[in-house]
Amino acid sequence: MTLIQAVDLTKRYTLGKDNYVDALRGASVSIDAGEMVAIMGPSGSGKSTMMHILGCLDSPDGGEVWLNGRRVDTLRGRALNALRRDEVGFIFQGFNLVPTLSALDNVALAAEYAGRSRGQAVETARQTLDLVGLADRVRHMPTELSGGQQQRVAIARALVNRPAVVYGDEPTGNLDSANSVEVITMMRRINAETGTTFVLVTHDPEVAGACGRAIRMRDGEVVGLEAEVVSGREQAA
Amino acid sequence: MAEKINLLVSGGTTYFSDKVTISDARSANSFNSSPLSVSKLDQVEQVDGVAVASAGVTMMLDEEMPSVSMGMPPMIIGTDLRGEDYETFQVTYADGRNLSPGEVGKVVVGSDLVTKLDAEVGSTVTLRGEPFEVVGILEKTLTAPDSSVIMPLSDAQRLFQRSLPEMMQGRVDATQLATDLTVYVEPGTDPDVLATTLEASVPGISAMGPQGFKDQIGNASRLLNAIIFGIAMISLLVGGLSVINTMTMSVAERTREIGIRKAIGASHGQIVRQFLAESGFIGLLGGATGLLFGWLLTVALNAAGNDAGTALFLVTARLAVGSVLFAVFLGLVSGLYPSWHAARLNPVAALRYE
Repeated sequence: MTLIQAVDLTKRYTLGKDNYVDALRGASVSIDAGEMVAIMGPSGSGKSTMMHILGCLDSPDGGEVWLNGRRVDTLRGRALNALRRDEVGFIFQGFNLVPTLSALDNVALAAEYAGRSRGQAVETARQTLDLVGLADRVRHMPTELSGGQQQRVAIARALVNRPAVVYGDEPTGNLDSANSVEVITMMRRINAETGTTFVLVTHDPEVAGACGRAIRMRDGEVVGLEAEVVSGREQAA
Repeated sequence: MAEKINLLVSGGTTYFSDKVTISDARSANSFNSSPLSVSKLDQVEQVDGVAVASAGVTMMLDEEMPSVSMGMPPMIIGTDLRGEDYETFQVTYADGRNLSPGEVGKVVVGSDLVTKLDAEVGSTVTLRGEPFEVVGILEKTLTAPDSSVIMPLSDAQRLFQRSLPEMMQGRVDATQLATDLTVYVEPGTDPDVLATTLEASVPGISAMGPQGFKDQIGNASRLLNAIIFGIAMISLLVGGLSVINTMTMSVAERTREIGIRKAIGASHGQIVRQFLAESGFIGLLGGATGLLFGWLLTVALNAAGNDAGTALFLVTARLAVGSVLFAVFLGLVSGLYPSWHAARLNPVAALRYE
């Protein structure tokens, strides 16, 4: 079943008079529910823009985005907040935890935004931190955690509202190889166990190798076959 | 300070609400002390509507005018006690008792003057060079009696006579001296109407009812309050701008955090509420700190002022709670723009912000 469908997306960033970048030039993708997909491509190929638009953090200049059979690129205001909150999760390269909140509170925050009571939010956050193997680090502040642990907190935060899809922007970009493997393995496991769809923008062949397939982008377009299957590490490497 | 003055005025307004004060017609206002004759009492009491009239001598406690005076300077009030049964403005005694008719050489001391005069019941205090025995200490009234010494009329008349220029002293009969007459009205009589009637019936007097007091004191306290209000408004503006500045800086510094919060689903309202709560808290913190330091300062200044008998500052519960609440309100208002700005940030741009 198709979960995410994007058709002919265009996005232009205007930098100054007569100076602009076409980040997307008619890119189309289709992703099924339960997939784990990598979006790959060189810097400036438009993969981050694609992810921001698919995740409704940004809106396209042209084209359509559908999520779960509903058109979402036209959503604004409350409906847009509700979508970001309930149906989508994000993981960033720089972890992006709120520095003044503990691991538990970072995760609970997303649950509280979704309207859960403080007690419920903390309970759900605890369970989700357990899922990412951080049950013993709930009271730690972000600065007291390693990069890999911080990214796992971020994954827990992305998962706490049980979204249909989690978008990751270079989720292993700031991690050493050991932590990278740990994080990738965890996402793979959660994808398999919970059926949560993962869409990961990455340069990292290890990440791409762990994904079912890769969408390759260049100059704002999807190149190569969308359905191209990355069969394993050897092919990605 | 405005609080102290307002309470002083409202105490005065209460005191004067049911009586008429008479002074000499030559006086520009009733706080002047051109002498009046006690013999006017009989004439005044003849007028319909007058229940009883009481003669008083009011003068400053210190023979020399204080160089700087705000609020009430310490006063000596001489009274013949004739109005006691009619007085509705009741004072209570922290210690001791009221004066009794016929007594001489005794005084009741207002609460603000206890330290200055080193007074306690049974002790002797020296007023304008004469010794007096203290028979009572007043409870704090937050108005005029606090900075007054009350003594029998005859003693006050003698002190007053002595304060006159020497060439006049011999020509004045001390027992006839009064600086003011207080008229207690019959039930059902309008004191303001009676004041007009009295002026028409008794020659050489100026009579003032409650409205007259309000008009006179109102003007003075309005001006003072306007000045204090002006200073407060400037502080307010500076304080408000500080909170706006702090919050705007905070929003700028935390642009990335706002981006994260929006990306994980915070609504416009949730971001606004968060930053408003923070600015309100800054207001609360500032208000509470300001109150603490302000209160300490008033305690210190009043302690210094007590020796001169002029405790000038007053922090009431109403003022304390009001000022802290207002600080929170100011924080909230000042936080409006920064919060609104934070909530409008584009999440992608905010997340890229370094």
